[in-house]
Amino acid sequence: MTRSRLDAPFGQWIDRSESVDIRFEGKTYSGFMGDTVASALIANQQWLLSRSFKYHRPRGPLTLCGHDANTLVQLPEAPNRLADELPISEHRVINAQNYSGSLERDRNQLLDSLGRFMPVGFYYKAFYKPFGSWRFWERIIRRKAGLGVANLTIEPRYTDKQYLFHDIAIIGGGPAGLSAALTAAQAGASVLLIDDQPHLGGSLNYHRFDIDAAERAPTLNHLRTQILDNDNIRVLTSATCNGWFTDHYLPVLQGSRMYKVRAKACILASGSSEQHVVFRHNDLPGIALCSAIDRLIMLYGVAPAQRLAVLAGNDQAYLTALNAHDAGIAVCGVIDMRAACDDANLVTALQARHIPLFSHATVFEAHANSPGHQLAAIDIHRLDSHGAVTEHWTTLACGALAVSSGFMPAYQLACQGGARLSYDDGSALFSLTELPEGMFLAGSVNSIHALHAVLADGAHSARQALRHLGLAPVDSRDDGVSCDVSVNHPWPIFQHPKGREFVDFDEDLQIKDIVNSTRQGYRDIQLVKRFSTVGMGPSQGRHSALPTARLVAHATQRSVSETGVTTARPPVKPEPLGLLAGRRFDPARKTPLDQRHRALNAHMVPAGNWRRPAFYGAPQARDRWVQEEALAVRTNVGLIDVSTLGGIELRGVDAAQFLNRFYTFAFLKQPIGKTRYVVFTNEQGVVSDDGVAARIGADHFYVTATTTGVDTMVREMLRWNAQWRLNVDIANVTSAFAAINVAGPNARAVLDATDCSIDLSNDAFPYLAYREGHLGAIPVRMMRVGFVGELGYELHVPSMLAASLWDMLMNAGDPLTIRPFGVEAQRLLRLEKGHIIIGQDTDGMTHPGEVGLDWAINRQKPFFVGRRAVDIVMAADPCRQLVGFTVNSTCPQPKEGHLVIKAGDIVGHVTSCEHSPTVGGVIGLAYVHPQDAAPDSLFEVRTDQGVSVLARVCALPFYDPANARQAL
Amino acid sequence: MTVMLTSPIHSLPSTPIHGGLSLEDASLAARRGVRGRHAADHLRDQGLTVPPVPNQIVASGDDQWVMALSRREFWIINPQQLATAAMPDSTAIASEVWPLYCQHSHSWLILQGAQRADVAAKLCAVDLRSEAFPLGAVAQTQAARVSVIIAHHTNSQQQPVFSLFVDQAVSEYLWLTLQDAMGEFI
Amino acid sequence: MKILHCPLNGPRNISEFVYGGQVKPMPNPESATDTEWAAYVFYENNSIGVVQEWWLHAPSSYWFIVERHNGSDTILRTYDPSELLSNPGMVSLEDAIQ
Repeated sequence: MTRSRLDAPFGQWIDRSESVDIRFEGKTYSGFMGDTVASALIANQQWLLSRSFKYHRPRGPLTLCGHDANTLVQLPEAPNRLADELPISEHRVINAQNYSGSLERDRNQLLDSLGRFMPVGFYYKAFYKPFGSWRFWERIIRRKAGLGVANLTIEPRYTDKQYLFHDIAIIGGGPAGLSAALTAAQAGASVLLIDDQPHLGGSLNYHRFDIDAAERAPTLNHLRTQILDNDNIRVLTSATCNGWFTDHYLPVLQGSRMYKVRAKACILASGSSEQHVVFRHNDLPGIALCSAIDRLIMLYGVAPAQRLAVLAGNDQAYLTALNAHDAGIAVCGVIDMRAACDDANLVTALQARHIPLFSHATVFEAHANSPGHQLAAIDIHRLDSHGAVTEHWTTLACGALAVSSGFMPAYQLACQGGARLSYDDGSALFSLTELPEGMFLAGSVNSIHALHAVLADGAHSARQALRHLGLAPVDSRDDGVSCDVSVNHPWPIFQHPKGREFVDFDEDLQIKDIVNSTRQGYRDIQLVKRFSTVGMGPSQGRHSALPTARLVAHATQRSVSETGVTTARPPVKPEPLGLLAGRRFDPARKTPLDQRHRALNAHMVPAGNWRRPAFYGAPQARDRWVQEEALAVRTNVGLIDVSTLGGIELRGVDAAQFLNRFYTFAFLKQPIGKTRYVVFTNEQGVVSDDGVAARIGADHFYVTATTTGVDTMVREMLRWNAQWRLNVDIANVTSAFAAINVAGPNARAVLDATDCSIDLSNDAFPYLAYREGHLGAIPVRMMRVGFVGELGYELHVPSMLAASLWDMLMNAGDPLTIRPFGVEAQRLLRLEKGHIIIGQDTDGMTHPGEVGLDWAINRQKPFFVGRRAVDIVMAADPCRQLVGFTVNSTCPQPKEGHLVIKAGDIVGHVTSCEHSPTVGGVIGLAYVHPQDAAPDSLFEVRTDQGVSVLARVCALPFYDPANARQAL
Repeated sequence: MTVMLTSPIHSLPSTPIHGGLSLEDASLAARRGVRGRHAADHLRDQGLTVPPVPNQIVASGDDQWVMALSRREFWIINPQQLATAAMPDSTAIASEVWPLYCQHSHSWLILQGAQRADVAAKLCAVDLRSEAFPLGAVAQTQAARVSVIIAHHTNSQQQPVFSLFVDQAVSEYLWLTLQDAMGEFI
Repeated sequence: MKILHCPLNGPRNISEFVYGGQVKPMPNPESATDTEWAAYVFYENNSIGVVQEWWLHAPSSYWFIVERHNGSDTILRTYDPSELLSNPGMVSLEDAIQ
């Protein structure tokens, strides 16, 4: 076996004293602490990591920093993790994904040779017709194209979120970011430094920067020491800033936490993505970016292969060759796509090391070894003066090829903030303009590449940020940094007659796919993306955006600056949904009686954002409990927790005047100690809420509102009074008071059995009256109400006394077998009385006339909110009417939402429907055509499975039409 | 039959004090509120110290604190005194001074410990570190998606604490959420 | 996430606030035609420029006015609604109904 590990100082990030075994595809591989899964495998000559998405071609790492999709692997707990980001210290069992059979012999590899039958847009076109054919093919295709497998049995890991607050957030811990952080922190700013690698330093960890490698290590050590010593700097490593949101709100993912960073300014030192070269079989494992080869050697001490070649589009690539040579790797050649390199000293350095140089040439085709899993040789062709491929020069045997055609700024975060990325076709230089306020660029994202310039640019960006924050004086002489190092080759794209020159590795797109998209008429880069799916894969166009822009520009006779690149949106990198979910805050409101209900075996259900008892008993016997509870109220006595009812207190000399303007009824002359029904219509004339207003004093009202409507009501009241400026205090007291309704013919007997200070006789405390007093030592507000249609007292009590009141009532009612009832029984009881529930029996169009609330509107007073609209809609011909109905017991029971049909048209729907033991049949409420609203009219309801049922209109209420029982 | 005030969180286990970090339910301690055009003048007439601007809390007397939520709304809280079971006042205390029902509408949680701001940062978007939120500061904000009033003051041992006032209907939820957030520090 | 400066509570995440629609003067409900009233209720001025809006800081139930450029989403000013009273464009309800 070949010795792949290099000696120190190569391999700065690994600890050779601690070896770690991992299992990949069932085989054991040995690595060191500090290795990633990818580096450990390459150290064992295992470049093959995955199969490509569409053609199932063998793939290996391209970037070695988590920026490509070739390293997607399957973990026992999660699919689609990047092998070059996974520390082997934490992940011991890894499998490849997206293959059939074995990774080495993927049966789906056949798809590669079928590729010419699957042109770009194949899926759109092939399964479009006949209609429905996609349903058949979908399952087969999804199986072939699927990536990893989600493990549904795994316990979700604990994930959470935390806010961080800093003056300046710096994204990128390379030389620019380090320099910026130090400058800003030394001026007193609080700095957050974020880097996605486990160690600070960025390219200072692996890039050679100069021929003698003199500057790299001292610069890194100097900066890193000072950063770690500075109390103003917080460092987050292995952390990804995955988006930029308004006002510098940055989601940063680290481990199982998402930090929500709020910064006052932000420095983007995110670096740049090295670009690959497009030639035939450029996707073979072993072909990687120069920076990836540098990382292998410098960080992990891994020799990529015995023989390495370098394909250069810039001077930087030469440094990779020097690095490899100095590490003891045989560099069999540097192929330069340019006629000459910029710095002639590099040529001398190659010569001194006897590294052959092939200038003005390119790799035209790469060849795999015999199993087809790794690079074995490259065909080198000469280029003509236009950069076109000419005759074959030579063939080199090599197991790895380092490529670099240039660097594209990591523009994503800036563009998310609205910046524009432009490209100068002449100089092959990028620039980012129109940055959001408070965002500054530093380093190679700013197209600055020489080390001394990058450091200066970092410091300059920090001064800009400090001035933005007012922490440094405005200095007009602080000009930007310029850099004359040119890194981008203008046309690193070499079409081959047999194709297989990959532009986008994630989506398996070749040159012809992009060019064909333009021939289909998609000239716009955004449309090319959507048609071809270029840039849609996990690497989000980091390496495909530029060649695509070049190909589209060329095919449509435009410049790259004219075609532009596609929009960058968050997230920058794929993110686990668990991190977005965090702790899943789901605040459920509970009444002070919640524990009492649970002790009584209540079946709790959500009601708005509250939890309420639906009924008391096991849910399997739901109907039985509801009917029994309803019967108890009708024949004996029950009690229900109505604490969720909204409560609003209005106090002040203008309180009555305010209510008069707000609700539809008249309140100026409402007697003290009486309650009155209130209806609120909004400015569209729609019935939006109802309740009861109790007049406690001349300038004091206690008003109830619906459970779900009270917050809106209070807000509306506050907003109207911000304009009216009436002298009234509006307080939401929903949570201050709990409420219990004691209802049934024996309700008075239960209260009499307590030590009640209020005279409960019908004369002293009649229906609709309001009283205050005590039950024993418990202070209560009491109202005679009739929502369920029986003698009823609603007791409102300070919330921390609710449990005591409940216990007192249960004790007092025990001899009478008082029974608690839930929301479902209450809904049945009120339905029997024909009382509507706002929001259930009304919708966003309901005006008062449609639901029989004309009587609740006072037309003598000059104004109420919605008055004008109510007048307008009620003057128009009515189009529907809410009525009560019954259906024959042999028919299927209509459900809420079932449609009311007249002459084939939808005219309304059922809003409530229940079986009533008291009435002895199925009763309900429904909107019907006004012609069908008279009692005994018949109308058609379409029930489940389209079965039509004839319903008979019935005068409301169904129960106790004389309203005698509630006034007992 | 005895009448007892019941805190909505009374049945939940409290967090053991560990490394100085603790969460305490003070819902049974006394607090009252006043609101209205003359509320500040009324409190001053009563001899209380009133914060000069909204969203501040000041000590007034030995154990009492006065918290200003706006120019016309003030809460008077007393961690040392137990609340009574009487019906809270509802009629005007003075001309245009209306009593509020904060004794019953809001639960009172007290978060103490050096890491209190770190705990809060897991739930709340307002920077509550002492640099940005010194003693005497009050924030009306949201934590874990519910509205909360956070006051930074000292307790009887002169330790800085956050008093959190939250709608009693969600106090159990916030209590459990805070305990979860405290987990990593305990 | 955007930050909005509440006149009472200072800078806060926009998620603490509730939008309350544009500030628009109510026509006289006694004298307005049906068409005028419908326009008041249903039409929003959607032209690009500076708009006046109602915003509520939910935790403190405080309504205030925001002046915002709806093209750039830049917030120019926030203030207490009492300032609206000095705005001659607002017809007071007292004038309208008495």
